[in-house]
Amino acid sequence: MASELIVNGHTYEVRAPVGASLAHVLREELGLTGTKIACNEGHCGACTVQIDGVPALSCITLAHAVRGEVTTIEGLRDHPLVDAFVKADAVQCGFCTPGQVVSAAALVAANPEPTSEEIRHHMAGNICRCGTYPRIEEAILHWRG
Amino acid sequence: MELLRPSNVDQLDEGVYIHGGTEVVPLLRDGILSGERLVDIRGLVPRGVRDATIGAGTTLAELEVDPQIPAALREACRLAASPQLRNMGSIGGNLLQATRCWYWRLKYPCRLHGGDTCFAREGEHREHAIVANDFCASAHPSDVAAALLALDARVRTSQRELPLAELYHVPDEADRNVTRLAAGEVILELELPPVEASVYLKAMDRKKWSFPQVGVAAARAGGETRIALAGVAPVPWLLESADALASGDEWATPLPRTEWKVPVARALVRRAVAALG
Ligand SMILES: Cc1cc2nc3c(=O)[nH]c(=O)nc-3n(C[C@H](O)[C@H](O)[C@H](O)COP(=O)(O)OP(=O)(O)OC[C@H]3O[C@@H](n4cnc5c(N)ncnc54)[C@H](O)[C@@H]3O)c2cc1C
Ligand code: SF4
Ligand code: FES
Ligand code: FES
Repeated sequence: MASELIVNGHTYEVRAPVGASLAHVLREELGLTGTKIACNEGHCGACTVQIDGVPALSCITLAHAVRGEVTTIEGLRDHPLVDAFVKADAVQCGFCTPGQVVSAAALVAANPEPTSEEIRHHMAGNICRCGTYPRIEEAILHWRG
Repeated sequence: MELLRPSNVDQLDEGVYIHGGTEVVPLLRDGILSGERLVDIRGLVPRGVRDATIGAGTTLAELEVDPQIPAALREACRLAASPQLRNMGSIGGNLLQATRCWYWRLKYPCRLHGGDTCFAREGEHREHAIVANDFCASAHPSDVAAALLALDARVRTSQRELPLAELYHVPDEADRNVTRLAAGEVILELELPPVEASVYLKAMDRKKWSFPQVGVAAARAGGETRIALAGVAPVPWLLESADALASGDEWATPLPRTEWKVPVARALVRRAVAALG
């Protein structure tokens, strides 16, 4: 079944069969490997992308069922949060980081000055096994530099 | 596999219905659900809140911040799952989520899968049920369903209207289904009667993103208090009265490693009733 996918402003034709996840299509078909797959079952947030600006888990989203525009970490390359994460040293192994930045970008778009409590509520779906949470919080608190 | 996108109920074919997919996609991948036809029902299930009517396609994220929604339901949504899952997951899908019993998820041929053993009763059951747990000891994982049950919600489907309590069925030998939805039936809307005060309290493994160990919803309307629990029975559980807990522990039949849930439930019920004022 042919299906179109808009990712970071470009339109693609999905070739994978129905049932393929958005994460799989992004990585294997479109070569957008910034989106990570860790648990592949909706538990960790590594695969977070935005659909029409709203964070969603691409590993449990069917590529053919996507109706909005997808933004991946590649589409957020120039977002000030990227620098903020570097400055706060909010990265250890880095595997969770793309998902963290994608979630955080949606948060600051809706709420440019989130409190620590708001950050903790909105970022709770992005697990960091290296435990960089305090620095992620710091990066988001000071995302505008 | 094909994916259909009907835009009204008349065009609805049978198949695996999918809304947000947070439950369906993992179950398909694990082979617990199967079928050649997926039906994306987002085009025909209403979304949004109008007065006391909630479209079954409304996401938990939308409900958690909606001031029209009673506190118990808002809080149940806010404390459920993770932000991304709340963005994706619909309230209709939440009511129909399957058990998190690990034996069931790992496809052990247990009673709920049609076999003749409840592996949890004999094996690992720390998270399991403390009431109505004789046949299947699974614990219903929906915070949202407990809140809606306390709020005395009604469900409108493509075929009928019914009180939420009647959507559920404690599985037994004769009928192993946990819900009574017919094949081809979809939930369209939920209707909330007026309520004076309501609250939802949840005991969790950690502070965020955990299924309810025990969730307690309480709502007061017309001088009556309704209390419903998540995580204690194979279905969302309506308590006959708060006094049932105060007078002793006979109401519960915990398994050896679910005894800890009994005092937790009692404490949360007491706090919830106190919070109603
Ligand atoms: C990791 C994880 C953690 C979670 N934690 C919690 C928690 O703490 N508390 C809690 O309450 N919930 C929790 N959930 C459940 C989550 O809220 C639900 O999975 C979600 O709301 C389901 O909605 P959906 O639209 O994605 O449903 P889908 O996955 O699309 O569908 C779920 C089921 O409902 C059926 N269905 C969906 N909509 C309709 C309809 N309108 N009519 C008829 N059938 C329908 C589908 O066929 C399927 O059987 C968690 C889920 C996950 C994956
Ligand atoms: S508790 Fe229910 S779902 Fe779990 S093993 Fe027993 S019968 Fe199966
Ligand atoms: S890879 Fe999608 S949530 Fe873990
Ligand atoms: S930096 Fe390693 S998992 Fe987060």
